Amino acid sequence: MANHSASHPAHVQHHFVDSDQQFESAKMGMWVFLVNEILFFGGLFCAYIVFRAWYPDLFSQAALELNKVWGGVNTVVLIGSSLTVAMAIRSAQKNQIRGLRINLLITIALACVFMVIKYFEYEHKLHLGIAPGMFWNPTPEVLAELSHPKANIFFGIYYMMTGVHGLHVLVGIGLMIWLYIRAGKGHFNSEYYTPVEITGLYWHLVDLIWIFLFPLLYLIE
Amino acid sequence: MAAAETNNMTTLQVKRFKPSENPTNTYLTDEKGVWAWMTTVDHKKIGLMYLASVAFFFAFAGFLAIALRTELWEPATNFIDADTYNKYFTLHGAMMVFFVLIPSIPAALGNFVLPMQLGAKDVAFPRLNLASFYIYVIGAIFTFISLAYNGFDTGWTFYTPYSSTGSTGVIWVTLGVFILGFSSILTGTNFITTIHKLRAPGITWDKLPLNIWALYATSIIQVLATPVLAITILLLAMENIMDIGIFDPAKGGDPVLYQHFFWFYSHPAVYIMIVPGFGIISEVISTFSKKTVFGYWAIALSSLAIAFIGFLVWGHHMFTSGQSAVATTVFSFLTFLVGIPTGIKIFNWIATLYKGSIDMKTPMLYVFIFLFLFSIGGFTGIMLGALSVDIHLHDTYYVVAHFHYVMMGGTLIALLAGLHYWWPKMTGKMYNETQGKIAAILVFIGFNMTFLPQFIMGAQGMPRRYYNYIDQFQPFHQTSTIGSYILGVAFLLILYYLVMSLIKGEQAPSNPWKSRALEWQSTSPPDFHNFAHTPVVINGPYDYHKPMEEFQLGLAVEHNGHGEHHEVETEETEKA
Amino acid sequence: MSEHNHEHHVATAKQLWLIGGALFVLTILTVVVSSIPIPAPFDIITALVIAFGKAYLVAAFFMGLYWDVKFNSMLLIGALVFFILMVTVTLLDTMYRQDVVPSF
Repeated sequence: MANHSASHPAHVQHHFVDSDQQFESAKMGMWVFLVNEILFFGGLFCAYIVFRAWYPDLFSQAALELNKVWGGVNTVVLIGSSLTVAMAIRSAQKNQIRGLRINLLITIALACVFMVIKYFEYEHKLHLGIAPGMFWNPTPEVLAELSHPKANIFFGIYYMMTGVHGLHVLVGIGLMIWLYIRAGKGHFNSEYYTPVEITGLYWHLVDLIWIFLFPLLYLIE
Repeated sequence: MAAAETNNMTTLQVKRFKPSENPTNTYLTDEKGVWAWMTTVDHKKIGLMYLASVAFFFAFAGFLAIALRTELWEPATNFIDADTYNKYFTLHGAMMVFFVLIPSIPAALGNFVLPMQLGAKDVAFPRLNLASFYIYVIGAIFTFISLAYNGFDTGWTFYTPYSSTGSTGVIWVTLGVFILGFSSILTGTNFITTIHKLRAPGITWDKLPLNIWALYATSIIQVLATPVLAITILLLAMENIMDIGIFDPAKGGDPVLYQHFFWFYSHPAVYIMIVPGFGIISEVISTFSKKTVFGYWAIALSSLAIAFIGFLVWGHHMFTSGQSAVATTVFSFLTFLVGIPTGIKIFNWIATLYKGSIDMKTPMLYVFIFLFLFSIGGFTGIMLGALSVDIHLHDTYYVVAHFHYVMMGGTLIALLAGLHYWWPKMTGKMYNETQGKIAAILVFIGFNMTFLPQFIMGAQGMPRRYYNYIDQFQPFHQTSTIGSYILGVAFLLILYYLVMSLIKGEQAPSNPWKSRALEWQSTSPPDFHNFAHTPVVINGPYDYHKPMEEFQLGLAVEHNGHGEHHEVETEETEKA
Repeated sequence: MSEHNHEHHVATAKQLWLIGGALFVLTILTVVVSSIPIPAPFDIITALVIAFGKAYLVAAFFMGLYWDVKFNSMLLIGALVFFILMVTVTLLDTMYRQDVVPSF
């Protein structure tokens, strides 16, 4: 522990010895938080697994109502946004603030594309009466294909999983806008880019969750 | 002194910093006014704010308990009707669990003590720490809103389908608990990072105080279990708001799945409540025996073992719920395993007492009460874990008594031990020792009078949560009620002398118990930055055979004051 | 404590693009494989193997665990272990019940 009052750079909080300790603490704190996130989604995945083990035919039947192509496009969009976030962190590490802002903008744009596609998917399903819970009222044509008596449960799980995931995407968009503004004010440089790094970790986790949601929800038939 | 031979040894220039006995500048004088308190990021003030909130909710929920016991003085209606009774016991349980027991030791005492025991200036994320307090407050507000909507009477476990019928009160309280969970998660995240990254020079993993090990194990449980509660409660809220159907049998869902989800959190949660209590007991027992803790690693690692095994036993709450026989058998077997690390702790504490110079101050009195009550609570827990016995005892007063023996006789008594132990450090004032002892004895008598009869009537078949009972049980109920009044008086007495100590208590010395632990090597109350110097640790926290000077070292380079200079070697703290 | 002032690892742009490309290819692959009729347990296994492969790439390289301190990887693995515990122990009940959903 070196002299902790005189040589403190402005971004280091008083209770840390140096910039490195602060960065490593923040990153570890974020990883601990991601453990939370994994177990939070873990509950939903557990419900999914339990019901799927009970009613395998329900799941393959219901997956037909989900559009594989749009799901796939959304997967590619999210992976692309993960790539641009990684590039944004790289730009920050190399002190290229312009590159950082451009990459953040692309990420925000891709995240918005994801949400728009998600919106149209929801719209389409709600139109057919495939709605969560008490709004469950499928049209006769849908019912002909989706005859399983527990079909509402599958879509309960579907809406909870994609809904909670979508909320995370929205939070991510908010964080990214905040980073974009701060980057514009010159808050970040190669010495201090902790918020970019940990927001990046968060965003990759949102991507990771979707990597599992996509095959489990869309690709079972 | 050999020069650094391995590359993880560093040589530091240190000197002794003897804490002042009359500090003029402390964390209490540094920032003043309500606004400064409300926006502070100082872990000590946040700890005190938590302590005050916990005390408030304890008083509130305790008052409900007194009302319940009074109602049970005689069978049938006494002074509240059956519906109110249901709401009272639900509120008593939910508040005691979510607003008192879970934050009590980690968030109140832990927040205050943890950075000091590590020689850090604050927790790793001070602003998150403040946020966690406000999240706790918002959770509480939601619960009170629920009361305005006619309350909730589902029992603190919110079992479906009873809790999924769309009652507005249930929606508000579940959202309150959902929000509250984040407070717990943030505290856990903060503590894990702080313990890993902010230890003072010389504090290696084998020199961590056992309280830190306990808080570490607690934080791991908080981080792993609380998110599952969050998603469970969210699904339950959705069940209420729009019949999502996963847990509701009327919609094709499975209510037992809800119980799995709920207990996946709530069983580990009882270890969130009790494990930090173990930490306090280890600290107090060593200080008042003036002796090294017996079996340091056994106590430290058994905390982690409890944390891990605690995740595998949740199904013992569900033996009669329609769970499969396979799961029931496995859960029963695993439940017995939890007894092993807990037993290891008890035996090591007893061995620590052996041939120590035992000083029966108030905190130590509470430790003895803890050992007695918690052992009873633990053993009855093993009985309840046995399948055939549980079928008979399930949902009787036996379970109620067991739960109160571990949670109140364990956690709350440990909290009282810790509160009396650290009170001089937190406030800089000494409380009245005689009154403290009287109150401790009253708590002991009142507690046993309240809950011992409940074991007997439970074994005889008195079901829990019942508003009415047959005449046969009246003597037990009446003894229990009188006991609860004695408990109430004891807590009022504690409140009285603690408040009096604030008003006209004498100034506490920096180290009234002559402890070797690091938090006692600061002034009472501590400096705003905990220590005016950077502490350096060369001995374990329980090395009572070494002189006090060796526990008051700090880096010499920051100040060029007087005092002799030493050179010490410390193992470099791991910087992962 | 802070003797070693180590540099943060900076991934090269080429590395990142390669990982992105691999993830893209794996996504196509999983969609294509899903339309091939594979017998019951193996279709889900294939899908999960591909998903875990993608997850590994994201965690190791985008999230930088490959270059990071081991403790952060331990946290991720720990979270997965506890998730698996939760699922298997719950299945121990739900898969061995007399009735799928106990009738009330």
